[in-house]
Amino acid sequence: MTASTVTEQPKFTEQPLLEVRDFQVELITDAGIIRAVDSVSFSIHRGETVTIIGESGSGKSTTAMGILRLLPEDLAVLSGTVLIDGVDVTADPKAIDKVRGKTLALIPQDPMTALSPVHSIGSQLFEAIRIAGAASAKDKGALQARAVRLLEQVHIPTPEKQLKKYPHQLSGGMLQRVLIAIALASEPQLLVADEPTSALDVTVQGGILDLLLELQEQRGIGILMITHDLGVARLISDRIHVMKDGSFVESGDVQQIVDHPATEYTRALLAAVPVLGPWDETPAATTLTTTGASHD
Amino acid sequence: MTNYILKRLGQGLLTVFLTVSTVFVLIRMAPGDPAVSYAGPLATTEQLDAVREQFGLNKPVLEQYWIFLQQLFTGNLGQSYSFQAPAMQVVAERMPYTLTLATASILLTAVVAIPLGVWMSRRPDTGKELGVNVLTIAGQSMPDFWTGIMLLTGFAVLVPIFPASGFATWGGLVLPTITIAILQIALISRMVRREMTANFAAPYLTVARSRGVKNSVLTWRYAMGNSAIPVFTALGTRFAAMLNGVVVVEVVFAWPGVGSLIVRALETRDYPLIQATVLLTALLAVGVQLVIDLAYPLLDPRVRLGKAATA
Repeated sequence: MTASTVTEQPKFTEQPLLEVRDFQVELITDAGIIRAVDSVSFSIHRGETVTIIGESGSGKSTTAMGILRLLPEDLAVLSGTVLIDGVDVTADPKAIDKVRGKTLALIPQDPMTALSPVHSIGSQLFEAIRIAGAASAKDKGALQARAVRLLEQVHIPTPEKQLKKYPHQLSGGMLQRVLIAIALASEPQLLVADEPTSALDVTVQGGILDLLLELQEQRGIGILMITHDLGVARLISDRIHVMKDGSFVESGDVQQIVDHPATEYTRALLAAVPVLGPWDETPAATTLTTTGASHD
Repeated sequence: MTNYILKRLGQGLLTVFLTVSTVFVLIRMAPGDPAVSYAGPLATTEQLDAVREQFGLNKPVLEQYWIFLQQLFTGNLGQSYSFQAPAMQVVAERMPYTLTLATASILLTAVVAIPLGVWMSRRPDTGKELGVNVLTIAGQSMPDFWTGIMLLTGFAVLVPIFPASGFATWGGLVLPTITIAILQIALISRMVRREMTANFAAPYLTVARSRGVKNSVLTWRYAMGNSAIPVFTALGTRFAAMLNGVVVVEVVFAWPGVGSLIVRALETRDYPLIQATVLLTALLAVGVQLVIDLAYPLLDPRVRLGKAATA
């Protein structure tokens, strides 16, 4: 269900969108220095979805935030190599500005808190469009047209009306779609999705995952998915890295890991998800079978 | 919206009414006799009785209160004992001076405290920030009469740049304004820093940063936009408080405002004057508070639009 034609191209001829080598994050806390991420290496090519899965505190979100350089500069020490579309963002702290709002975009964990509450949806979307350079600030008509098109692409009804609204007036599912639209403003090649559905109602989770897959098929975007939910991981990933205490304990093809987990930890993660089989009759199964984007 | 305004207006008027009524009772419970203040220490019992008769102070308190209520609704609170003029008029003449001082102080506070707070929030735990932090604690701890006297000694006596008292020239406004603003700047700048720091750590700011929004925009548009409501409220509340007369500072600088007026009114037990001062300043304070309440919807769409139904 995830294999698009893009992922079947030979991968070794092109430069990966994201290449992470021996990446380490050390957090300075009152209790001393904690190595939250310990020598992880992976890469993501065009059209691929790579998932980092792990329990709370395993370091999966810290990995994502570290790659994006969104951890507090004075409290997090990064080392190793992170190449985003060929730009090394660990060596030079300023280098991240070349990819932020351009090749790289973040889909946040909790859409309800991810937009400024006192600014309208439209103003925050317009800003992203201006940063992407897709329309000049003076050309209001072009800005508006581009914003409406982006909201249409994430299947938001009556986009013109939504632009005037404020975050508190939209549901979580709608806000996540708005955030995906904002992320798409710059035509990014790499999306980092940090538990994009965990704060959402189960009935809308499937719709958001469907949308991400649809955009990936259309545009060949690479996705780094962070989740604790093996159901989500299984649905959308090409490859999975299972993370525990800051390092990968198991890596590989999604089906292989689900079918033959090598470690007790992965088995425990699998056991924590009640719905993996397609014919499982537990009610929550509906969230993982993605029966359409119209849930929300 | 109209309902909201009417409700706030009603609450405001009730506040004013309760305030003046409380003051009416309290000044009559306090020791001291207006007749003695007016007729002097050598007056005979007959003279004192005559004065009480003249001011209506020999009537029962309830009857005095009834007269006061009637005066309240006609807007004429009687003659000031010591000024021999309508009390409301005496206060009204002083009001512009206090308004000028309060406005100048709150403007200076806003202009200094907001950038200072933002500056501190962007440089947490640096030596400079710590230095400014200590200064703001000092500013918060210095009593205003002391600050005022120090500024007087420094800039009116030793280096006579500014006049020492009164409001004959605009230069006279400088020292009292600074005296009041020092404390307010210390309080407001620390508040701005606290609000900004909280907003810098908010998820929406991290997400905005992730899409390449520049630091200056993150600071002023995002963090400040979201800090504006509590900061604006604090500035407004302080302003309203200053309208009640910045008593100590007005006395130190012989400022001809309501603050120094009420000191004199209290010393002479000038009941009509005390009541007029309290009435006018309470009305003004409630008015300012109403303006703040009405400005909320402009600053915060959550108040303006309410919790709308979700999609």
